[in-house]
Parts: sequence; structure tokens; C-alpha cells
Amino acid sequence: MGKNRFGSRFLIGLCFLFLYLPILLLIFFSFNAGDSSAVWKGFSLHWYRELFHNRLVIESLATTLLVSLLATAIATAAGTFAAIGIYSLRKKWRDPVLVVNDLPMMNADIVTGVSLLLLFVAFFRGWGAIAAWLNSWQSLITFPTRLTLGLGTLLIAHVSFDIPYVILNVAPRLRQMDANLVEAAQDLGCTWIQAFFKVILPEIKPGIVSGALIAFTMSVDDFVISYFTAGSATQTLSMTIYGMTKKRVTPVVNAVSTLIFLAVLIILIINNIREARQAKLASKRASFEPVRENPRAERFRAWLSTPRGKLMRRAAAAVLCVVFVSTTVFLTAFTTSRPVVNVCSWGEYIDEDLIDEFEAKTGIRVNYQTTDSNETLYSLLSNGGADYDVVVPSDYMISQLIEEGMLEELDYSQIPNFEKIDSRFKNLPYDPENKYTVPYTWGTVGIIYNETMVDGEIDSWSALYDGEYAGQVLLINNSRDALGIALMYLGYSVNTTDEGQIREAYELIEDAARRGMFQGKVMDEVFQTMEGGNAAIATYYAGDYLSMLENNENLRFVVPKEGSNWFVDAMCVLKDAPNYDNAMKWINFIASTESNLRNMDYIWYASPNKEALEIYPAWYEEQYGEELDPEIYEIMAAPQEVLDRCEMYVCLPKATRKLYNDLWIKLGI
Amino acid sequence: MRNKRAWFAFPYVIWMALFVVIPILIMLFYSLTAEVETADRTAFAGSLENFTGMTLYMSVFGRSFWLALIATVICLLIGYPVAYLMSREGPGFQRVAMALIMLPMWMNFLLRTYSWMAILENNGLLNQLFQKLGVIALYNRLTGSDIDHFQMIRTSGAVVLGMVYNYLPFMILPIYTVLTKLDHRLTEAAEDLGANAVTVFRRVTLPLSVSGIISGITMVFVPSVSTFAISRLLGGGTQMMLGDLIENQFLGGAYNPHLGAAISMVMMVIVVICMLVMNHFGDGEGEAVML
Repeated sequence: MGKNRFGSRFLIGLCFLFLYLPILLLIFFSFNAGDSSAVWKGFSLHWYRELFHNRLVIESLATTLLVSLLATAIATAAGTFAAIGIYSLRKKWRDPVLVVNDLPMMNADIVTGVSLLLLFVAFFRGWGAIAAWLNSWQSLITFPTRLTLGLGTLLIAHVSFDIPYVILNVAPRLRQMDANLVEAAQDLGCTWIQAFFKVILPEIKPGIVSGALIAFTMSVDDFVISYFTAGSATQTLSMTIYGMTKKRVTPVVNAVSTLIFLAVLIILIINNIREARQAKLASKRASFEPVRENPRAERFRAWLSTPRGKLMRRAAAAVLCVVFVSTTVFLTAFTTSRPVVNVCSWGEYIDEDLIDEFEAKTGIRVNYQTTDSNETLYSLLSNGGADYDVVVPSDYMISQLIEEGMLEELDYSQIPNFEKIDSRFKNLPYDPENKYTVPYTWGTVGIIYNETMVDGEIDSWSALYDGEYAGQVLLINNSRDALGIALMYLGYSVNTTDEGQIREAYELIEDAARRGMFQGKVMDEVFQTMEGGNAAIATYYAGDYLSMLENNENLRFVVPKEGSNWFVDAMCVLKDAPNYDNAMKWINFIASTESNLRNMDYIWYASPNKEALEIYPAWYEEQYGEELDPEIYEIMAAPQEVLDRCEMYVCLPKATRKLYNDLWIKLGI
Repeated sequence: MRNKRAWFAFPYVIWMALFVVIPILIMLFYSLTAEVETADRTAFAGSLENFTGMTLYMSVFGRSFWLALIATVICLLIGYPVAYLMSREGPGFQRVAMALIMLPMWMNFLLRTYSWMAILENNGLLNQLFQKLGVIALYNRLTGSDIDHFQMIRTSGAVVLGMVYNYLPFMILPIYTVLTKLDHRLTEAAEDLGANAVTVFRRVTLPLSVSGIISGITMVFVPSVSTFAISRLLGGGTQMMLGDLIENQFLGGAYNPHLGAAISMVMMVIVVICMLVMNHFGDGEGEAVML
């Protein structure tokens, strides 16, 4: 038997090793001095300190806990209530209700998420008229006429998927319970309510507790449903992490997870010890050995059942409730009462200290959110999924937004720093009269390659398509850029609407894919793949290349001889922005020379602010006591002769966009 | 007495109608319409183009169901023995093991998956290990090839691994629950009647744990078939799955909620049919789901 037991434990141990290997790795890298989760650079507690300054992580953690706790509380109460009701239904009615109850669990998360998204969008579309009508005949409450996805919709979604778990855990307990017990209690003079608290509740308590526990775990762990129902003005920890996994997960998240992990581990250990002790006690009782309980604990228990003890118990419960509710109210009030500006930008696209500074200076709270591509931003805006004031799309998306009337004109009298923007970046084709935009950054697209993995220098897009580096190339996962590059290689304009040319470009990529040229399709995942030396060639943005260079000095960047794309990302304000004036203040603040210098230093994208761009090398020297490598400066701020080779994207007509999409999906399948 | 409290169910029935049934009806509506541009605004018009155009994505359907099926089978092959062995351990061991299986769920699943990227990368831990152990040199000698790493990430194998890793606990938990509730007198009786260990397992234990197996399969298969985060992180964009396709229609570049809704509907119907067939075999009692 002993040997047998060893074999069985060995197998179980292997399974746990499999489950815990990545987790141990995660914890290990939370103590990394460097910011990579693949390269170890020494022990440090840096990321734990950093954690308290990282607002994005802290706020999303708070949102996650708030939503999960509230959803669990509501779902547990509602689910228990409903379970009793369902249990009392006639069988004819009970069965269909139970089938529908199972539906959210049987359904894929993505279907639940998507269908709720559609419901909310449909409701929001209709709400405007309802609110206007309500406001017209009464003036007691003014209803907002525009609703967006956010905390409310997130909470509804979580409650919806939590309730079935509670019911599923409570229902079997109810079925096991002897129905006569309630009747007996009532016969003995209990009201139904009393019977509920004295008889039913103690009987079904284990079911309620495990239901609540599962609901809470599901809420905390959920990503897909939150992703579709939270818009992106509200982010749960999962959503924040998803945004990061594309670029580079800052080890701050590892630190948070390690702390959560430890907290849960401690709770589980305590719980285990308690259960083990109870089991021991029970077995002692069973064997009629004298049981010696802690006398103090016994006295405490006795005190609890005295009238005063009961009163105290209730008081404690009431205090807890009040604390809970007031924290919630306080938190919501705190986040809504201050003047605010909602900004949506790209991941790691700002020196975050600037946000704190702006808040300290103006008292306006910055609700800073990120999305991962122009297309995602567009989808969010079309869904009514977001309530942003300021967005930072790229050139071609700006002209599309202008065309569809989604942008508001700016009040340049409130943005004196617009003066400082280099005239090269004003009145560009996407905004010819410069009524809507203040440029944020600019740069070029080029080839990033690992010197140690290729022979000689690369200077042509052909490296992506010819056989030499098969399996070593990363294709950019974005139809516009991928097809655009192929068009440039073929010598066509990136803005061509000629279907034949676009199809030719598609065939070039498709043919290369068939020959196994591409290791994968990446967007921001390119960072860790290239930094870790896992692929030889990729195409990406100059600024991001410089970030990668900090972690892998073998990487090189080139704007190929066939030419490339150059882009401008600019700040715009959405139509009907609720905080228009605050948005102007934010834009003006970001457009200043000081902000531009710090942003440039942090994200390595070139600034459109003329002064900042010119003095950056001197500023760098002053800051770091060493000279800025002129080559780096040239890559960041491409000189005019390079720009002359490059072409800017313009907004393509709808039919061409559809062609791009169709071809792109065809490539993926 | 029974029906007196039946109205307790009423608010929940309304809630379900609002947030479960109506959303699915709206999705159905979306899937049967398409956006058309009229003179002043875009409007919806009835259309079947979302369904007829879906033949383009047959390979995505095929891949999703195939990979999810493989992942489910692997989960079952690992999960059942582990659950079985666990249920035969002492109560102290069982408690700790249960806690250890639940615990990873508190670590964000995206982070756990991300962690696998570092392991599976071409320059990752596993490849480095293989290099140190000389596995790669040996492979080169044996096959006469010349590689310096095994391509593990950005393959369908990596996606399956991600699914197995993330959803294995969902297989173990329900099977374990059913096995611990198993009446030991039954197996003892079988042994007394002369059955050997294999027969006892085959004729008594296994048939009695079918409900656990079925809920385990459901809980692994459904999220696997619809995942998009796993295929994106570990598949590196090369393994497009249904989840990716749907997400892309709602929050991604392709933006076409109508097509997305249609794909979701088809996926939902196929999954439900699969589950109904499964439940038919296990004369469906969905009660074993988790604890």
C-alpha cells in the first residue's frame, strides 16, 4: 500500500507541477530588477514599490474588487431568494426555468458578452428619446440623455453570470432539506420569516457559502464578459493585463498577482488548519475522548448568546454593512464629483508622471484609458462603448472620424501651445484646415532586425518575402500596415484604390505565408518577441524600436529604400464631449515643450513641438550626463530626406476598406 | 404550501428574460440583418448574407472545434486519473489538494498564459533547457537537420497546451466531486462478489462518475472552442479561432456586428447540439457542476 500511495502522489504531484510551473515563474519575475519577463537581471523589490504609483493597475484592481464584491453580494442574495422560489414552483414551470438558468453557463462566455453588448447598445440607442421625454414632463430628476458602457453595465453582466452559480449550489441543499421542518417550525408558532432564518437558512448555508465563493472566484477571474460589457472607460484588472500582454507586461502586474496569490494562500492555509482542527475535534468527540476546547473561546461563545452578546453581534454586522456601503458610495462620489477629463490613448504612450502633474496643477482628474489600435478605437466609438473626451488616433483614422462627423472642432484660443507645433505638422491632408487636431507624436515605419540573426545589413522590404529568412519574420497584424508595406514593395502607392494592385499585394503576402516565411502575426507582441531574440525580422514603428533597443542592443532599424509610411498621431476631441473645456486644458498641457520633452524621453516617439524636438539632444545630455547617440536621434526624428521617401496614409473609401478586411481575414484562415 | 413562495422566483424570471433571453433574441435579429446605406442614414435591412457568406470561415470553424476537442480529450485523460487518485487519498491530503487546484484561478488567467510564452519561446526556458541537455543536438544528429530551437510557440500545439493548462481544473473538480460522493459500499460489494480492481472500475466506478465527466467536458470544451485570448497569445495570430473571428467583428478591425452575431449564433447552436447529444448519453443530470 505504501508504495502504491507513493506512485499516486507522484502522479498528482506531476499534475500540480504542470499547474504551478508558470505561476512560480510569474512570482519569480516579480522580483526581477529588469522589466522583462524573460531576461533575469538581478533581485529587486523595485516593482513592489512601483506598484503603489501605478494608477492604471491600482484603479483596475479596485474596480475588479468592487465589481466582484458587489456582484457576489447581489447575486448571492438574489440567487438564494430565486432558488427558494424555483424550488416552490410546480415541476411544469420549474424545468424550463432551470434550463434557462443553465443557459449562461452552457453558453460560451463570448456569446454571453456579445449578446449583452448588443442589448446595451440597443438600449442606449433608444434611451436618448426616453430620457428626453422623461425630462420634458418632469423636472425633479434630470436624466442624462447619453449613456455609455461602464461600471453599471459591467455590474449587470457580472450579476447575470453569477446568479446561476449560486442557484446551482443552493438548489441541491433545498432539495435535500426535509420540507416538513419548515411546517413543523410554523406549527410551533414561527412566522415564515422566522422559519426561514431559524430553519431554512442554517440548512442551506453551506450551499450559499460555496455558491458565493464560486461566484466571487468567477467574477475575479472573468475576462471575456467584462471585455465586452465594460466599454473601456472602466477597466478590470484582467482587461488591463490583456492590454499589457500585447506589449510588455510590466512586472508591476506580476507583483500585484503575487500579493493576491499570497493573500489567498494565507486564507486557504488558515481555513485548512481550522478545518483540520474541527475534523480532529469531531473525531475525538466521536471516540468519546474528553474534548478540551480553548476556555477563552468557550467563554466568548457563551457571551455571544447572552442578550448583550446578541446585540453586539448585530451591531457589528450593521457597522460592517455601513462601512461597506459608505466605502462604495464614497468611492463612486469621489470619482464622479471632481472635474474630470477622459482620455483614451495607446498603451505605454505617455510619461505617467505628467498625468499626476496635470492633476496637481489643475485639480482635474484624468481618467486615462488605452486601446490597442485605431480600428479597435473606431469600433468602440461606433458601439457607443466609450465616453471619452480626448482621443489620439492616427492620421487616416482622424480623417475617417472627421468624415463621419464624430469629431468636435477645437477652440485653439484655449490652446496657446499649438503655436509651438512645427508648421510641418500643421494642415496635413487628414485635417487640411487644422480645425480638429493637435499633433501628439510622429514617426516612421521600418524594418527591425536582429543583427546576430541575419547576414549583413537589410535595406529592402524584400527581406520579408524572399526565402532567406523563412520562419524568422514577424508579419504586422494589421491589414493597413501589412498590405501597405506590400504595396510599397511593389512600387504602388499605399493609398491606392485599384483593386488589382491591392490583390497583387495580397498575393505577395499570401505566397510568402505559404512558403512559411512568417513565424507569426504580431502587433505589440513584437516587443517581447524581438527583445528575446525569438525572431530575426519584424516591421514596426521607430519609437517602439528604440524602446526595444534598451532591452536588446543587437536590434537594428532601417527605413527601406523602397520607401515607407510616416504617420502623425494627434489629439482630437469627440463630438458632444462632456468635458470640453477640461479637454482643452489637457491638450494644451500635453502640447507644451516641457511635456513633449518628457514624453519623447519616455516613449521614444518624436515630438511635433518644434522647440522640444530641437533641444532634445541638449536636454538629454543635461538629464543623463551623457551625449545622445546621434544615430538614435535620427531614427526617432527621421530627417527630411527620409520623410521624402515616405508616404502618409489617407482614409480609404469604404469599398476599399472592406476589400482590405476581406483579404486580411482570408489570409488568417 | 409549496406554491406560496413561488412568487420568489418571479423577479429572477424577469431578470433572466431581460439579460439572458432578450440579448440572444437581439443577437438573432442582428444576424438576420445587414447594414444598408440610405440617403441620409444607415439602416438595417433583412438579409441572409451573414450566413451565406460564412462558408468562407469553414476552416476557422473546423480548426476551433478540432483543437477544442483535442484539448478536451487531453484534459479528460489527465483529469480523470488525477481526480480518481485524489479521491482515494486521506481527508487532509484531499483538502490541501482541492485548495491547490482552486488557487491558480486567483492568478489572472491571462498572466498565467503569458507566462507560458516565456517558457515556449524560441529562446525561451524550454528551448534553453533542451540546448543544455543536448536534446537539440541529438535531434539534429538523428534527423540530419540543422535547427537551433524547436518551434513551439505560435503553433496549434501551443494553443492546445494553453487550453489544457487553463481549463484542466474545470475537468478535475466535477469528476472529483462525483467520485468523493460515490458510495463505497457499492465498490466493496462488487469486490466481495469477486470482481477484480479493473472490473470494479469499469463496471461500477466509471459508470457512476459519468455525470462528472460530462460536466467536466462541458466546462472544458465550451470555453476552449470560443477562446480568443489563448489563441492570440500562444498562437501568435497564426491560429485564428472562432473567438478571434467574433471579437474582430465587434471590437476589432473588421467591425461588422451583424456577421459577428451570425457566427456567434451558429457556434452557439453547434455547441448546444453537442451538449444535448452528450447529455443524452449521460442521461443528463447537470448537478455535479463543481462543488
